[in-house]
Amino acid sequence: MPRGQKSKLRAREKRRQARAETKGLEGAQATAAAEGESPSSACLPFGGEPQNLPAADIPSTPLAPQGAPSTTNTMAADSCTYPDEDSSQDEKNATSSKGTKGRSGDPLNDKVVLMVQFLLQKYQKKEPITKADMLKLVTKNYKPHFNEILRRSSEYMELAFGVDLKEVDPIRHWYALVNKLELTFDGTMNNEEGMPKTSLLMIVLSVIFMQGNCAPEEEVWKVLNMMGVYADRKHFIYGEPRKIITEDLVQLNYLEYQQVPNSDPPRYEFLWGPRAHAETSKMKVLEFLARLHDTIPSAFPSWYEEALKDEEERARARAAARARTAAAMASARSRAMARNFSHTK
Amino acid sequence: MQPEVPSYMQGSTRRVGIMTDVHRRFLQLLMTHGVLEEWDVKRLQKHCYKVHDCNATVEKLEDFINNINSVLESLYIEIKKGVTEDDGRPIYALVNLATTSVSKMASDFAENELDLFRKALELIIDSETGFASSTNILNLVDQLKGKKMRKKEAEQVLQKFVQHKWLVEKEGEFTLHCRAILEMEQYIRETHPDAVKVCDLCHGLLIQGQSCETCGIKMHLPCVAKYFQSNSEPRCPHCNDYWPHEIPEVFDPEKEREAGISKSNKKPLRSRQH
Repeated sequence: MPRGQKSKLRAREKRRQARAETKGLEGAQATAAAEGESPSSACLPFGGEPQNLPAADIPSTPLAPQGAPSTTNTMAADSCTYPDEDSSQDEKNATSSKGTKGRSGDPLNDKVVLMVQFLLQKYQKKEPITKADMLKLVTKNYKPHFNEILRRSSEYMELAFGVDLKEVDPIRHWYALVNKLELTFDGTMNNEEGMPKTSLLMIVLSVIFMQGNCAPEEEVWKVLNMMGVYADRKHFIYGEPRKIITEDLVQLNYLEYQQVPNSDPPRYEFLWGPRAHAETSKMKVLEFLARLHDTIPSAFPSWYEEALKDEEERARARAAARARTAAAMASARSRAMARNFSHTK
Repeated sequence: MQPEVPSYMQGSTRRVGIMTDVHRRFLQLLMTHGVLEEWDVKRLQKHCYKVHDCNATVEKLEDFINNINSVLESLYIEIKKGVTEDDGRPIYALVNLATTSVSKMASDFAENELDLFRKALELIIDSETGFASSTNILNLVDQLKGKKMRKKEAEQVLQKFVQHKWLVEKEGEFTLHCRAILEMEQYIRETHPDAVKVCDLCHGLLIQGQSCETCGIKMHLPCVAKYFQSNSEPRCPHCNDYWPHEIPEVFDPEKEREAGISKSNKKPLRSRQH
């Protein structure tokens, strides 16, 4: 059945309560904000009885269009609490809600709700977040409370969704949403891609490794099928596995997917992408494989040897890089000193 | 280790549930999928327990969800349960209560695309069958707000709606995806108070269903299935006239599992009925 009786009755009851307690649009909004209850009455245009509302106004607001990302978010902000996008209306409501703050004191909650919705959208779309974007959500009257709103929103994100809002660039004020729950092996894989893909990726990387660093697509699917992951079937965790491994992970440079040369009908093969090489290693993948099989890496002697060689090469590359950096820094320093010396002469 | 829920998060007088990583993981995955069928939801729940708390007993799904909803209440978000209109499968989605989640679309689509959706929505609601033909929708392309859109473009936008699970296409006609119905019911009722159809049995929003040819009342297919189950002489609950349509079967999750077909790939067996 559609929406259960209990939840409908609850919502209806709350709407009736809210209407009984207040008069008019702004009042209802303030009360709901203050009480932090009644979902529908908080945004009277969409929660209240149809006959109270000018029907003509409503259609334009909820499907508020996206001009630039910032505009969208402002629209989203407005469409919640105000019947139209006019910012003067916005201020009027804000003022009145401040006035009736006495209730049980939480007019900030509306803003927190909007911020959380905004953050969730950004998280889903894996887009970076700027402080400027977030500030645009908060109307003039609430700007002084921005830090509090941000703090509460982060707490919600952590408490309810297990997602951390981290400032990744303190100079340009860029934020990222990081999944705290991600089951990463030593956190080497980038968290931000969305949790379901990582174990799938690791499995594909291990198949590629086991196949001599280049795996025909059929082999990859053979292994995935054994785990109940099929190309043409939606998976209850991974969603669309085929799209993830042939498109998404390729786009993110974790995998390479190419046609087997001279194959007719065309067949395809997988290789590690540059990002996989950068962010993990053959040894780490072997460790993952070993854990899956409840054993240790050296139980696979030939792969273990290859992984060891790979580790040695990486160590050598790191050492060489360090040496180069040190040399570059030394020469830069000596040049700077020479310049100073000539200036002070 | 769970941080105490601050007072401003405790919306109603109802006791706020405790969120653990099991619940959080569940929410994350449900969000990623947009909408999930009940069977998948149960598997998802078990998966989350296995991953984060393998020794705990798996809570009953209804309680598990109510627990999560009590924490989400003050965010005006909830996990909502519904039923697909064509074959009665129970489905779940995370919906915004406050902005009636049409704003979920707002960040993915341009102004003219959203207007196209609005136009399609109107045609769907006004139609007898709950379906709007591609032709009729595309003919409205000139009336769209925002940047001018050609019919070719509009065809692609409609496909985009299908991909994002807002619309469903069947033989060149479009109707609302079950996710859209779940998320937008409130919005739809409020923006089309006169045109909107309601099921005579459950009083929920009705897009597709069966009608009584005598008195005109409508019912959802799954509602019809339940109401007339094992009734050899089905009669209209309103006017008592003989119910002229084929009575669908009640959805049986056990049968589905035995058949072993993937849920999302299975096409509904029943044809559309008026």
